[in-house]
Amino acid sequence: MLAKGAAKKVTIYVNEDTQRHLNPLYQSILTFLLHKGVAGATATRALAGFGPHRQLHTPNVEALGEHVPIRIEFVESAEKMDEILPTLYDMVTDGLIEVQDTNVVKIAMKDKSAGGLKQHHIRQAGSAKLMRIFIGEADRWRGEPLYDAIVKQLRMMDISGATVYRGILGYGAKGHTHKQSFLHGSRDLPIVISVIDSEDKLNQAATVLEGMLEDGLIAVSDVEMVRLVSAPPEDTNNARLPER
Amino acid sequence: MPVYQNAKLLRLHLTERDRYQGQPLYEAVVQECRELKIAGATVLRGVEGYGDPAEIHRAHLMRHDLPILIQIVDSPEKVECLLPVLEEMLDKGLIAISDVQMIRVQKTRV
Repeated sequence: MLAKGAAKKVTIYVNEDTQRHLNPLYQSILTFLLHKGVAGATATRALAGFGPHRQLHTPNVEALGEHVPIRIEFVESAEKMDEILPTLYDMVTDGLIEVQDTNVVKIAMKDKSAGGLKQHHIRQAGSAKLMRIFIGEADRWRGEPLYDAIVKQLRMMDISGATVYRGILGYGAKGHTHKQSFLHGSRDLPIVISVIDSEDKLNQAATVLEGMLEDGLIAVSDVEMVRLVSAPPEDTNNARLPER
Repeated sequence: MPVYQNAKLLRLHLTERDRYQGQPLYEAVVQECRELKIAGATVLRGVEGYGDPAEIHRAHLMRHDLPILIQIVDSPEKVECLLPVLEEMLDKGLIAISDVQMIRVQKTRV
């Protein structure tokens, strides 16, 4: 299964009219990848191109119109690649296979079963850490509100959740009092962001946040956590099987 | 690995209606903290809550009596000298203290 982090990306170049067992080669490759459980693959038809035969394949020349290049791309883990590549090597009789190292930043899949079905939840309990970040509403980071940027950053780091509170009064590192008044158009109220997750996750987050904060305070304390999370899709599938 | 300092987190639970010498208690607490050079104080207003007199604090057309939470973080010594002052100011309410690990970020000098 493909996960965040280091992975391999394969690009295969073939011609649209290259055949394998009476099927177009690119279709055979896609069927094979699907059968092998690859997370996803995309085939794109090129506008024009040429290969080692030194012949320009372009739709302008009618005789060569069916002969345009096709590019198939997919991303998988290194272990899965070892399993797939020998077969691909055998399949591609005319074309090129290229593998490069890549980094998966996000892999998201919308849950198709979420329509009206009762959600299954898993209860997780144990000790965790609570981090509070004290900043000002007017603090900015690269053109956007700092609290927005922090929440987005935490989300990207797979931190389980963050809540932003706006205070009504306060003071801190900047030395001025944050207070809302009718005469003051600009808003600079205090902001508190609280985050709960495991210790090492929060240590990672604190290191990143230290770089983002201009003035502010980060306080971490021990908490006992009880968390309800939706069950992963495999579990819900298993749970629903007997109903069919 | 980020460098943490030992500190104390003080949480004061009171209501918007509490007063101290004519001004709202939460404003008086923040002022007192400034005078004692405490690193910072943040006042949050809750949406709903109840406390000791078992009276539900809720937003009302004519009356403002929502729960107020004041959070203060500083070194244990500083909190130690602030605590008796706060206890004297609050006639009802709750003070909760917990141990925290803190990082103070101060890149712009005032």
